[in-house]
Amino acid sequence: MKGAHGRIRWVVFCGFLVFLACAWALDLKPGGLIPPDAEHWSRTGEFFKAALNPAFDYQDENVPDDADSIWLKGFKGLLLTLKFAFGAMSIAIPAALVMGFLGSSAWWPEPCGRGTQTVLSAVYFVSRFVMSFVRSIHELIWALLFLSAMGVSPLAGMVALALPFSGTLGKVFSELIDEEAREAGLALKAIGHRPIQTFLVGIFPGALPNLITYSFYRFECALRSSAVLGFVGIETIGLYIELSHEEFYYREVWTYLYLLLGLIVVVDRWGAAIRKRLHSSAEAWKV
Amino acid sequence: MEATLDTDRLGRVKELRRSRTKSIYLRISGIVVSGMIIWAWVSSQPLLGRLSASRRWENFKNFAGDLIPRPVQRSGDWLDAFPWAWGLLTDEGFVALATTFGIATAAILLASALVFPVLIFASRQLARPNPFGLWSGRVSALKSFFWKFSGPVVRFVFVLARAVPEYLIAFLLLSLLGLQVWPLVLALAIHNFGILGRLWGEVVENAETASAEQAIAAGQSCSSSFITRIVPASFNRFLIYLFYRWETCVKDATVLGMLGLLTLGKLIALSKGFFWDQMFFYILLGASVILLGDLFSTYLRRKLR
Repeated sequence: MKGAHGRIRWVVFCGFLVFLACAWALDLKPGGLIPPDAEHWSRTGEFFKAALNPAFDYQDENVPDDADSIWLKGFKGLLLTLKFAFGAMSIAIPAALVMGFLGSSAWWPEPCGRGTQTVLSAVYFVSRFVMSFVRSIHELIWALLFLSAMGVSPLAGMVALALPFSGTLGKVFSELIDEEAREAGLALKAIGHRPIQTFLVGIFPGALPNLITYSFYRFECALRSSAVLGFVGIETIGLYIELSHEEFYYREVWTYLYLLLGLIVVVDRWGAAIRKRLHSSAEAWKV
Repeated sequence: MEATLDTDRLGRVKELRRSRTKSIYLRISGIVVSGMIIWAWVSSQPLLGRLSASRRWENFKNFAGDLIPRPVQRSGDWLDAFPWAWGLLTDEGFVALATTFGIATAAILLASALVFPVLIFASRQLARPNPFGLWSGRVSALKSFFWKFSGPVVRFVFVLARAVPEYLIAFLLLSLLGLQVWPLVLALAIHNFGILGRLWGEVVENAETASAEQAIAAGQSCSSSFITRIVPASFNRFLIYLFYRWETCVKDATVLGMLGLLTLGKLIALSKGFFWDQMFFYILLGASVILLGDLFSTYLRRKLR
């Protein structure tokens, strides 16, 4: 027991030292935590005052009278945010299933010859590398690339979101499949099923609840990312937030923020309810 | 004989099928999700935007050509790319990389320092007037009220903290605190506070409680049994999640630079439009560093497991 405590103390101490080193290198001073001058102070005051008083009507005087009310506009923004998230996930999940299957070893025939083994290993490593590569570029950067290459279009936004998400999903899918208990599969194999049948009937269904749970969790992430895509010019609620913020319409900003928060909390609860009903383990959370 | 056996078997299969667990909630969720997906695709017409196909192809060809390093475009010799790349690295690339790593590390450490003190409240078993339902003397009304509400409140704060995307927090904080590194660190720290709170909270919930129960029964307080029994047992899992989130932080810190501070994101945003070749180089640089971080953290996590 004493050993464990000693180790914890040591790790915490090192963490503290690393933090100090980073703070020194980045020139992080406690003074930086407060607004630097009177102008920023008043802006901060206004911003937080606006939190208690979100806009129920546009702060912008130039909005025509027949325009949608701000709440309606906000809801439309939420729908657009949902649209990109759903569209992206509908591309990412099939792609991830394929890559996750190729990146797992649960379906390999055993025993198999030298040649087959080499081919299978090559497939395994190539698919793992592809998954790592697509997820090592952030969705915003993918979006920048696609918008530059293809112009602004709904598909560009969806594909930009879908690529890194398929990488992450695929990696986790493959690990969940590989961690699934093999007994059912072995039993099927013993009575003469082929490897693919064994996989589809004996292993995959067992892993399915965890796959669904994890996909739903990634959907929650996609929703957040979809909102942020607004900052590179794709029409989601993030775009509205940015535009209102540029004009210092803080009360409008808070209206949109509250709507976004509401949506994300609702989806979070929805996901929790689904997890509970699927009885899948919380372990599916780890990446 | 054969025939009856087959019908029996089919009947049994039907019976099993009927008696499987069904959930209306899951079915409705499935219908909602499929409906939303169909709607997402139907409502996004025209999918490829309004440009004509030939025009788009022309744009794409220009764009792809511009991704090739300028010196190579001029001379056609890929060896010229090396001095060019080295120049970009020493000019700003290395500094940007170091800043990216620094921000991610500072943020994740700050987040864990913030989560730890409130972590005990996330445990449904411990954080209640009578931990584990063990009778440990009369509890005053005030204390009982405190324990009853602290858990749900802390968990809700975790939800709120992780609900807002870090990019959005950074964007807002930058306008309040001015152009400096703190807003990025804070934004990452706040968002990861919520996520670590949830992940570590789950570790604590799933931890073996026998030893903590014993400590409570022997008269230890809630917090001391948490620190001396639960934390040491779960510490490795805490670290595993810490490294997983650190990896994500590095990736996020890269793009947070697009808001105007010297991480790779800034270089990417600045070279966009005029220096596509540089932008592509920085993107690949970021990707390779993230791949390395990924490998490092996977190795550490495997070791800790």
